[in-house]
Amino acid sequence: MAPASEDALTKVSTDAATEFVQSFYPALQSNRGTISTFYNQTISMILFNGNVVADGKAVQEIFVNQMPPAHYEVQSFDCQIINQAYPTPTATGLKAPNETTLKDKSILVLVSGYVRFGESRDLPQRGFSETFVLVPNPSADGPKGKRKREWLIESQTFRLVV
Amino acid sequence: MKGGKGSRGRSGGSDRGGIRKKGAAKRVDRDGDLAMDAGSTQGRVKKARGDSSRSVATGPRAHTRDRTLDAIQKAISSNTNSQANVRQGGRGSNLEQVSVRGWKQSKAASNRDGGVESLITFLEKKLNSSDSKAGSRARITKSRVEGDAFIVSIRSELLDRMLKMNGFSFAGAPLTIQTYDPSANGMDQTMLSEVSRNSGAPSTADTKSKMTAILSKRYFQQQKLLNLSKLGSDPDLLAMGIFDSTSTESKFFPALMKVWEMNFDNSTARREAVESVSLADNQLANITVVTTLAQSFPDLKNLDLSNNNFKDSQSLIGWRWKFRNLEFLDLTGTPFSADPTFKDTMLKWYPKLRYLNNTEVRTAEEVAAQKKTPIPVQAPHFQDESQIGENFVKAFFVGYDNNRTDLLNGVYDNNSTFSLNVNTTAPRAQQTETAAWDPYIKKSRNLLKINHLPARMSRSFVGAEKIREMWSSLPQTRHPDIGAHPEEWLIECFPIPGLPDPSGQSPTGVGGLLIMVHGKFEEINGPKVDLRSFDRTFILGPGGGMGGIRVINDILCLRAHGGHEAWMLEQPVVQATQPGQPPIQPPAAPPATSDGYGMPAPGKPDAQVQQEQLVMQISAKTGMTLPYSEMALSGNGWNLDAALKNFEELKAQGQLPPDAFLPGAV
Repeated sequence: MAPASEDALTKVSTDAATEFVQSFYPALQSNRGTISTFYNQTISMILFNGNVVADGKAVQEIFVNQMPPAHYEVQSFDCQIINQAYPTPTATGLKAPNETTLKDKSILVLVSGYVRFGESRDLPQRGFSETFVLVPNPSADGPKGKRKREWLIESQTFRLVV
Repeated sequence: MKGGKGSRGRSGGSDRGGIRKKGAAKRVDRDGDLAMDAGSTQGRVKKARGDSSRSVATGPRAHTRDRTLDAIQKAISSNTNSQANVRQGGRGSNLEQVSVRGWKQSKAASNRDGGVESLITFLEKKLNSSDSKAGSRARITKSRVEGDAFIVSIRSELLDRMLKMNGFSFAGAPLTIQTYDPSANGMDQTMLSEVSRNSGAPSTADTKSKMTAILSKRYFQQQKLLNLSKLGSDPDLLAMGIFDSTSTESKFFPALMKVWEMNFDNSTARREAVESVSLADNQLANITVVTTLAQSFPDLKNLDLSNNNFKDSQSLIGWRWKFRNLEFLDLTGTPFSADPTFKDTMLKWYPKLRYLNNTEVRTAEEVAAQKKTPIPVQAPHFQDESQIGENFVKAFFVGYDNNRTDLLNGVYDNNSTFSLNVNTTAPRAQQTETAAWDPYIKKSRNLLKINHLPARMSRSFVGAEKIREMWSSLPQTRHPDIGAHPEEWLIECFPIPGLPDPSGQSPTGVGGLLIMVHGKFEEINGPKVDLRSFDRTFILGPGGGMGGIRVINDILCLRAHGGHEAWMLEQPVVQATQPGQPPIQPPAAPPATSDGYGMPAPGKPDAQVQQEQLVMQISAKTGMTLPYSEMALSGNGWNLDAALKNFEELKAQGQLPPDAFLPGAV
């Protein structure tokens, strides 16, 4: 593959981050049954306020069973490409160089916003900062024929900061 | 979260950005403008707060102000950080003031800023939409909150249009818009001189010293109590003629608050001096006259408002978002106390309230539970086997503060990426004033606001050279020392795989570190130092830099100062020392002190001030008069403990005459 233009790189990464942020936080809020679908099979680390969570399934479990209703508001976010030639795994090992596409990238996303735990608008707004590493979804299809998520969480660090 | 343009009613920026864009001939980076606008709105509101000294002095009075008053005003301005405003918005500028009421009943009132920012956006939008052909955009030049009124300054030619907006509906509530009448509110800059004129005092300085004397009689340092109860029957105030005219009466309290503030060198000392205020027995029907109390004592813990005429929550509405640390509130003897919604409303207004009308309404545990999150706060996760992350972070922030070029030469290479984004609306620590974001906003790559590809590209900086150029345009910073102030930092770190291999040898990529840093820094803009918070994430990989590493990614988020409370580990709740006991218990009779006793004054030696303060402490502790308290101290080498011990002995032996004690103290 010819080296991608700066335009194309910026477009693919910022589109990925935007699409992710605009679907992940609404899911935490009102579609918690889908949370695990945002996560990669292999995970480097998932941290919530310093608590280690094993994988996407465990995150979903916590949000479904233990978390009160929460309102998330993303106020600012940005992203950068980490690896322009991310080694996306396939069923047959690594992709050959001629099989890679513009989307074989890993992306760093930094989000800043607030969360309100509980339903009342009078509850305090807690500022959070959250860092994600997104990687391409290696599987060919989405769950049960649904459109597959193109980018998955490889690592996640959430912290309340205010 | 909301879509691309930022949420309406919060920054509200999109509308105004749109309006501006119409008039702009050349292509404007819309998103940058938006963000800048939101920033400047904040700046405006911020400046307005606490800046009561800005209204315009008119008429001949302005010319007769003496030097003393100028000095007083200077002191006031420097206290409230509003000097620039006072100068800019001075006399002769062609501005009209208009009061807007009714917004506190709107849905926007539950916004974090009380709806002020949305209100400004709304008003500006309406001002503009009624005359789209106007050459220059209608703006609200200045604004401030006074009780339930929002006072805005606009160019005089906009006045008619503004007044026609009376009755417009803002977020579900009709607005009342009227020309502002400063005499109705007692916030006039010249209030001190007016108080002195009306009360027949020879000069402003005289009024000031009389007020200082009254304050020192009513201030109990030991209890951190300012007792402003029964002001109407205070012989000194009556002698000053304060209550002889309604205009003086309304100006008296704000003036008293200013005088109080002027007696302190800095705001920290001022804030720490008082935890409790009593305004009991003042026949107040609402807080209009005393509303400035909230500006002078924002951190108040105990507030006694008993035996006043507050009828309902509306009569207190101006303090709805004030006193965020209030624990004790006494409204006994007010009609509002009988209202069925009374308790619920007060609990809702004051999240830390524990005692209402001397009854416990929340336990310490319940207060603490509000702060608890469903995700327990744990110590940072720091997984860094060979201390690469630790060494990097320690060196990074020292380098960033002192020598950015060396830092770039050391660990950044041609593929390192840096970008920053500003969260202009982030929650912030209490009482934080946020400096304007001007130095950053044109480089901010907040993807919520920066939607166009060229802007997204130009706000990302790849390669040490480009990053150097970028960093050299950013303000100087000073981060706290990590070793000396570890609590102000939260740093997490763990290894990640799949990073680019600079040697190109490993098709599966190489391993490195992901480092997340949260903290604060001081920003040095000439003589001005601003405090900001930041979140900064780095990805480090193996490379040719110092220590065999390189920075692959450096992504920075800036936001208003938010403190470090959020990541402090949850502590077991400490039981209050005296549960149920009202903390506001002024001594039966305040000791009769002479003017300025215990307070610093020009020409008064520090030693004397300290001695007087000791005397007041002994007096407060023992109930003895000041002369006897002084005797106890001077007879014991001015040692407080020795004097107290001596007092206990003499008292036990019955050797103290009745006239050693203040009336009502025994």
